[in-house]
Amino acid sequence: MTLGLKPSRYVTCATFMNHLLAIWHRLTALLRRKRLERDLDDELAFHLAMREADYRHDGIADAEARQFARRRFGNVTSLKEQCRDMWTFSPFETLLQDVRYALRTLRKSPGFTIVAVLALAVGIGANTAIFSLVDAVRARALPYKEPARLVALWGNVLRTRVERRGNSYPDFLDWRAQSKSFEDMAAFDNQTLTFAGIDDPERILVEFVSAPYFSLLGVTPVRGRTFSAEEDLVATPAYVVVLSDGFWKRRFGADPRIVGRTVTLNTRTYTIVGVMPPRFKGLTDTAELWVPFAVYAPPQTMATRSTRGFGALARLKPGVTVAGAQSELDGISRQLERAYPDTNEKRAVEVSPLDVELFGALRPALLTLMAAVAFVLLIACANVANLLIARSEARRREIAVRTALGAGRGRLLRQLMTESCVLTALGATAGLLLARGAVAVLITQSPVTFPSFVTPALDIRVAAFTIAVSLACGMLVGLAPGLQARSVDLNSALKDTARGSDGHRSQRVRNALVVAELSLAVVLLVGAGLMIRSVRNLMALDPGFDPTSVLTLRVSIPRASAPAAPVPPGALPAPSEPVIRSRALLERVRAVPGVGEAALGTDLPLDGNAAAGTYAAEGMPPTNAQNVPRAYTHRISPEFFSTLRIPIVAGRTFTDADIAPTSSAVVVSDRVVKRFWPGQDPIGKRIKFGQLTSASPWFTIVGVAGEVKYRGLPDNPTSDPDVYLPFVERNSQYALAVRATVPPSSLVAPLRGIIRGADPSIPIYQVATMEERIEEQTSQSRFMMWLMGVFAAVALSLSVIGIYGVMSYLVTQRTREIGIRLALGAGGRDILRLVVGNGARLIAAGILIGLAASFALRRLVSSLLFGVTAADAASGIAVAVLAAVALVACYLPALRATRVDPLNALRYE
Amino acid sequence: MGETKHEPSFMPGTLDMLVLKTVSRGAMHGYSIAQFIQDASRDVLRVEEGALYPALHRLEVRGLLRSEWGTSDNNRRAKFYRLTALGRRELDNEAEYWTRIASAVTRVMQTA
Repeated sequence: MTLGLKPSRYVTCATFMNHLLAIWHRLTALLRRKRLERDLDDELAFHLAMREADYRHDGIADAEARQFARRRFGNVTSLKEQCRDMWTFSPFETLLQDVRYALRTLRKSPGFTIVAVLALAVGIGANTAIFSLVDAVRARALPYKEPARLVALWGNVLRTRVERRGNSYPDFLDWRAQSKSFEDMAAFDNQTLTFAGIDDPERILVEFVSAPYFSLLGVTPVRGRTFSAEEDLVATPAYVVVLSDGFWKRRFGADPRIVGRTVTLNTRTYTIVGVMPPRFKGLTDTAELWVPFAVYAPPQTMATRSTRGFGALARLKPGVTVAGAQSELDGISRQLERAYPDTNEKRAVEVSPLDVELFGALRPALLTLMAAVAFVLLIACANVANLLIARSEARRREIAVRTALGAGRGRLLRQLMTESCVLTALGATAGLLLARGAVAVLITQSPVTFPSFVTPALDIRVAAFTIAVSLACGMLVGLAPGLQARSVDLNSALKDTARGSDGHRSQRVRNALVVAELSLAVVLLVGAGLMIRSVRNLMALDPGFDPTSVLTLRVSIPRASAPAAPVPPGALPAPSEPVIRSRALLERVRAVPGVGEAALGTDLPLDGNAAAGTYAAEGMPPTNAQNVPRAYTHRISPEFFSTLRIPIVAGRTFTDADIAPTSSAVVVSDRVVKRFWPGQDPIGKRIKFGQLTSASPWFTIVGVAGEVKYRGLPDNPTSDPDVYLPFVERNSQYALAVRATVPPSSLVAPLRGIIRGADPSIPIYQVATMEERIEEQTSQSRFMMWLMGVFAAVALSLSVIGIYGVMSYLVTQRTREIGIRLALGAGGRDILRLVVGNGARLIAAGILIGLAASFALRRLVSSLLFGVTAADAASGIAVAVLAAVALVACYLPALRATRVDPLNALRYE
Repeated sequence: MGETKHEPSFMPGTLDMLVLKTVSRGAMHGYSIAQFIQDASRDVLRVEEGALYPALHRLEVRGLLRSEWGTSDNNRRAKFYRLTALGRRELDNEAEYWTRIASAVTRVMQTA
């Protein structure tokens, strides 16, 4: 009623005072809680006694007087509670009370508690672990200034944004000059160079970067400076270098007067101008040194618009979107296309957010895992809900008694909810511990290499996620028994004859939960089955060569004498004699016991050192600039094909006679033939590098080799063919491949010894067996396979426990009925059929729903699969496994049912 | 256990006012307060007895009443409630408010 108004100032003031006073009274009440409780009892008892005495005075009999007094007073328990609420900080204190009560009840049934907490711990722990990984690959996680505005720019063909080919320096300069979307732009690339240190020669990853690179990323040197714009001019490049913290400490003992000292890389001397802070390793995440981009290539190469090979980093101006920058660059690309049709026809540039560049490959896999663990958690919740329903059935009497004694229904519901939340909180605590261990194992044991700045931590966001998830679980899990408790019919519950409608309905809920569990498990099992199949397909894939028992390593052969005169900028150093010629080195390697065959090449399959160039077939000019033939060239020794078991499909391999700088022999891969001379004999046909009009010499095809998965599994990223040339001594960096007759890794030490014996200054690096390289290629798939397998196994066991629980409960509930059936002459088989049939219906429903769901979800994983579809036989096997295990889980309680003694069963209850 | 089914229900807040008014005559225990309200209203206002106690405790926590244990007429230990200064002010306010409302309602009822 809002009749009349009091003077408002008085109200606020008085209300405020009253509040203060009330809080004070409540605070002091905290100190004498016991006494207040006693006083309350006494006070109410006094009232009742007085009323009773009055009634007696009126001539009412003793017993009746007491009854009337009580009736007139009302519900003592409830009124006491109301009085108590006046003195307490009620919501908080009742919560504490509920929690205490919940802990007490949970302690009373340790078996139930342990099973429930474990199930929830596994579910919540797995979710926390995967979430912390997902959270760690967000743009925010990049250790750079405002990473969301950083983008990478890659040249591509035909604006299809499919094939990336890097940028050319003249294009890059034009983009930088003409675009208005970016604050700044920097070119970057990297090379591995030899650092000739005091002790060991070392191969060092060096980033070639434009001057703004560091300010774009927002990192400043801890010592000295970075590059100036003048040092980055192609015409007058400065040989200066910035060190990483690690390199500075490792090779210079953290010398405080480092600036001004020098570093020699590949015979060139660079002056140190600065040192970067710890943990900064550039965009490659492995860089140890940085040099100006101007020294990347000789000036004439830098001036060639058609030589494309590096990426660019740029920062969007505030408010500019990726799409906006993209359309601006599209316009510039079209202008360049008009200005330079020879080199820029159908050339464009792709703007790609930096976080997509660095994390893009990890994200779909992690999101799939996130979905998988969410399923596991749902199954765990369904299981715990089932257990709670079973318990609340058993507690019907307790709940009824509490209701009869005056506990409000809301209060009861809240208490049941509290109980399930306490349960999930315990689960979450155990889960967090589990997740801590799991994340560490995931990062260190994962075959997938995470960038060094991916440091999943159980931080505030992950903790918030876990708390939210466990609260949601608590609500979810408490809902079913809570709703059940609401509808308890006092009379029947207290009389305990009831096995009426309530029992039936709860059985329906429990059945539904089990069906949900089973169908979720089916989805996970199908997913895991597909992953396993996919990995098996990958491993069984023919890479075009035989990777077994092959050891590979890479060397960089120093020149015997460094050029005496300083080399003018941009010019090639005068050739000089290597410390050991490749033939001699190969002979030494071949003499090592355990080495069957040995070969060398400028690069080897899957070692990541391949480089591509354009070529032309005689008499076949390209139709336009974008279908200029492009091939990966490898210079190899004659034994290359036999050592790696790459089939020669036509003609021959090289002979020793071909090993000469003037040789014109070339071996091409099958695709070259398919493109230019299908159905013809390619031997004797000629190709040249560059364009048909180039002055470069002709090469004559002497043989055709089978296609090799040279640059990646399950297939090369581009369909460009491979072209093999004879090895020439001009190449000072090359790879050795050795086919071993002993376990290949046992040859590492003897090979190192024999190579260092030839010259101790030869750096040896990238040592790996071919099988390791293949494993590296399939690492993400195998990682997914293992995790999905583990999650599916957990899901399977949880759901089987679930169906076992429900069937056992069913048998217990129907003991009486089974007893009657047995007494009326039903055989053990009939009882088995009854119980197992019940379970089989649930299993069938679960499988059907699960299969439908996995069909619906197949798109999610299709990018992670290789050579399988959702309708694969693997799904069938997965489902069969589930059905078999679940049927066994039904069979056990059924068997128990057949052993029911009819007499006992009828006496039961 | 029907709680307030057949009792005439008070307007919200009026029970507090009646309790304050009753206690303003001197310290009283809960039973006599209930009894007094019933008698003074000639049995029209029958306080549901249990409901009186949450009200008493609420008023005490708000500082409008003070309580102390003493001995009742028949020599039993009983809790006596007494009005505080704050309670007296509240009572005055409530009474004035009530009079205004009651006379306003009466006026409406007579004119309409």
